[in-house]
Amino acid sequence: MKLRSNVKIVLFTLVFVLFSIMSVQAVTLEVMDSVIVESPEREALLQIIENFEEENPDITIDYQGVPMNDAYAQIPTLATSGALPDVYLATLDFIGTFEDMGIATDLRDVFSQEYLDGFNQNSLSELTVDGKVLAHPFFVIPMGVLYRIDWFEEKGLTPPETWEEFLDIANELTEDTNGDGSVDRWGFAMLASRDGSGGSRFIQIFRTFGGYELRLNDEGEYVTDVNTPQGRNAFEFFTELNTEHEVVPPGPMEVSYGEALNLMVTNKTAMMVTGPHSIGGIIERNPELDGKIGAFPLPMAQDGGKHISVLNTYGHAINPDSDKKEEAAKFLKFLVNDESALLWNEMTGRMPTRTGLLQSPEVQDRPDLAGFVEAMDYAEPLPTVSYYSTIMTDILPSAYQSIIVGQATVEEAAERAEERIISLIEEN
Amino acid sequence: MKSLFSLKTEHKYGYIFILPVAAVLGILIIYPLLYGFYISFFQTNLINRWNFVELENYINIFSGNSEFVNSIFVSIKFTSVVVLSHLVLGLLLAVILNKKNLPFKELFRSILMIPWFFPEVVVALLWRWIFNSMYGVFNYLLMNLNIIEDKITWLSSMRGAFFVVVFTAVWKGYPLILVMILAGLQSIPEELYEVAKIDGANSFQTFFYITLPNLRSVLLVSLILDTVWWFKNFPIVWLMTRGGPVNATNVVSIDIYQTAFQSFNFGKASASAVIVFFICLGIAMIYKSMITEEEM
Repeated sequence: MKLRSNVKIVLFTLVFVLFSIMSVQAVTLEVMDSVIVESPEREALLQIIENFEEENPDITIDYQGVPMNDAYAQIPTLATSGALPDVYLATLDFIGTFEDMGIATDLRDVFSQEYLDGFNQNSLSELTVDGKVLAHPFFVIPMGVLYRIDWFEEKGLTPPETWEEFLDIANELTEDTNGDGSVDRWGFAMLASRDGSGGSRFIQIFRTFGGYELRLNDEGEYVTDVNTPQGRNAFEFFTELNTEHEVVPPGPMEVSYGEALNLMVTNKTAMMVTGPHSIGGIIERNPELDGKIGAFPLPMAQDGGKHISVLNTYGHAINPDSDKKEEAAKFLKFLVNDESALLWNEMTGRMPTRTGLLQSPEVQDRPDLAGFVEAMDYAEPLPTVSYYSTIMTDILPSAYQSIIVGQATVEEAAERAEERIISLIEEN
Repeated sequence: MKSLFSLKTEHKYGYIFILPVAAVLGILIIYPLLYGFYISFFQTNLINRWNFVELENYINIFSGNSEFVNSIFVSIKFTSVVVLSHLVLGLLLAVILNKKNLPFKELFRSILMIPWFFPEVVVALLWRWIFNSMYGVFNYLLMNLNIIEDKITWLSSMRGAFFVVVFTAVWKGYPLILVMILAGLQSIPEELYEVAKIDGANSFQTFFYITLPNLRSVLLVSLILDTVWWFKNFPIVWLMTRGGPVNATNVVSIDIYQTAFQSFNFGKASASAVIVFFICLGIAMIYKSMITEEEM
C-alpha cells in the first residue's frame, strides 16, 4: 500500500516537473532571411534579435540564412514539402508567386488597419496583391546612383539630371590614373549579369527612358514596351556604355552585385546603380571611403524620360500554416519599431518603412542618404505577377547580353524580348 | 499467377531478402521518376494549382524559338567536347602512369587526382576567379608573358565563356577516366605485351592491337558514366556563367532549373526533364549495345 502511494507521489512529481518545464519553455520562431548572410546586416540583425529576446523571454528566434539569389528556389521547394519556416523573406518580384502558391498569410487578418496605414504606402503596395497585404515591410532600398563625392569634386562635376550628362561624367572619370598606358578607373560599374541583380537594375534604367517592361493598358491587360522607340533607346544607351563609350570595366557580364560592390570598394569605378544598402558594405570593407560616398536619383532620358526609382521593399511573409502567427506578428512589429529601425538604418543604410521614421531627422539629415531620400519621390511599383521574375532575371538580361556580345542588333534583341514577354503574358 | 505463399521456400527467401533493397530503390529512384513523369502532364505550382494539360507541356517545349531545343544542342556540344577531352587526356596520362620505370609515379598519381577531390562548387568558383576579366590570374600571366596586350574578357564573350566552362569541366573530370583506364591497363596480362615484343610489334602497334582492344569494355563503361554525368551537369556552368552570356553556355540542366525555379513552371520543367531522361537512357543503351556479353 505504502509502495503504491510512493509511486503515485513520484508520478505526480514527474508530471508536475514536466508541466513546469513545458510551461516556461520558449516558443521557437523559425525565420528565414537573406540579410543575415550579409555584412554588416548580420551584426545589426543579431543585435535586434538579442533585444527582442531580452524583451520577450518566451520567444526564441531561430534565424536561417539564405543568399538572396537562391531564396526563391528554396522557398517554393520548402513549400511543396510542407517545411516552410514560420516567417520568411518576401520581395516584390516574387510576391505574385507567393499569392499564386498561397504561401503567404493576408496580413490584414494579423495586423490592424491603423497599424498598416503607418507604413509608407508605396512600400506596402509593393507587397500587396489584389488588395491582400502578403508581407510586412521591413526596409526599403530605393534605387539611385551611388557616386564618389571626392572624385566629382576633384573634377568640378555635379550630379547629372539626364543620361547624356551622366555619360559625359562617366567619360571624364574614365582614365589612366597611374600613367602606365592603360585605363585603370572607369566611370560606371555596370551590372550586366544574367540574374536578378543585373535585371532589376536594368529595369529601372529602362523605365527612365519612358517605357515599361510590363504594364497594364487601358483595357486592364498586360502589355510591354520593350520593342518601342523608348525601349530600344534604353537598350541602346545601356549597352553602348560598354561597346561604344567604354566607360565601364571590361567584362560587364561577369559583374553582378558582389563584383560591382568590389569595384567601388577597390576604387576602380566612380558610380554604380544601387540602393542605400550598399553604403554599409562599401565602408565596412574600405573605411577610407567614409564620407566620400553620395547618391543621386537615376538620371532620365532627355526626350520623354523621367526620374524613376523602385523602392525594392523587403519584407517578411508569415506562413499560413504556422501556429505561431501571434509571435511572428510580435517579432515583425519589433523589427520596425523606432529603436530597431534606426539601429538598422544606421548600421546598414537600408531605410525604414514606417512613415514617421522616414521623415525623422536621423534619416532625412544623413548626407549619404540624401540622394536616395530624393529618389523616393519618384518611386513606382513593379507589377506583382507571378511570371515577373522571368522577365527580370532571364528575358531582359538575355536581351542586353545578346546586344553586348554582338549576337543581335538592338532591334533584334528588343523584338525577341517582346516575343518572349508576350508569350509569357499569354501563357499566364 | 503464383502468389508469394505458393512459391518454393528458397524462392520465398530470395524475394524476402531483396525486398529491403527493392523498397529503397522504389522510394528513392522509381517513385521520383514516376512522379516527375506525372507532373509533366500538369500546369502546376505543386501546391494549389493542378491543371491537367495533356501533352501541352511537351508541345510547348518544342514549339517556336524553343529555349529548350537550343539548350539541348548546347548540352550536346558541351558534353561531346568534355567527354572526348577526358578520354584523350585520361588515356594519355594513364598510359604514361602505367610505365614501369616512371620516376615519382606515386607522387604524379596523387597530384593528378587532386581535381577529383575538390567539390564542383569550389572548382567552379576557383576557375571563375582565375578567368575573371579584371582580377584574374590567367590574364595577369598572359600579360606578363607578353602574350596579350589587353585583358581578355573570357566569361563575357560567347566563345570565351564556352571555352572556360569546358576547360573547367575537363580539369575537374579527367581523373575519373584516368583511374578507370589505369585500372584497365593494369589488368591486361603482361604476357600479351611480351608475345607482341617477340613478334616484333612496335609501340604504336602494341597500343592499337593489344592495349586498346583490351580496354574496350572499360572505355565504354567510362564513356557511359562520363557522358551521362556531364550531359546533366549543373553546378559548374551555373556558378561560372549562369548559362550566359546570352545562351552560350545554357545547358539543358540550367534551362530546366530556370523553368522550374525562376518561372515556377514545374510541369514544363518536368516535361523537359523527362526528355533529358530518355536522351540519357538512349545514350546509355547505345553504348551498352556496343559491349558484348563476354565483356560485361
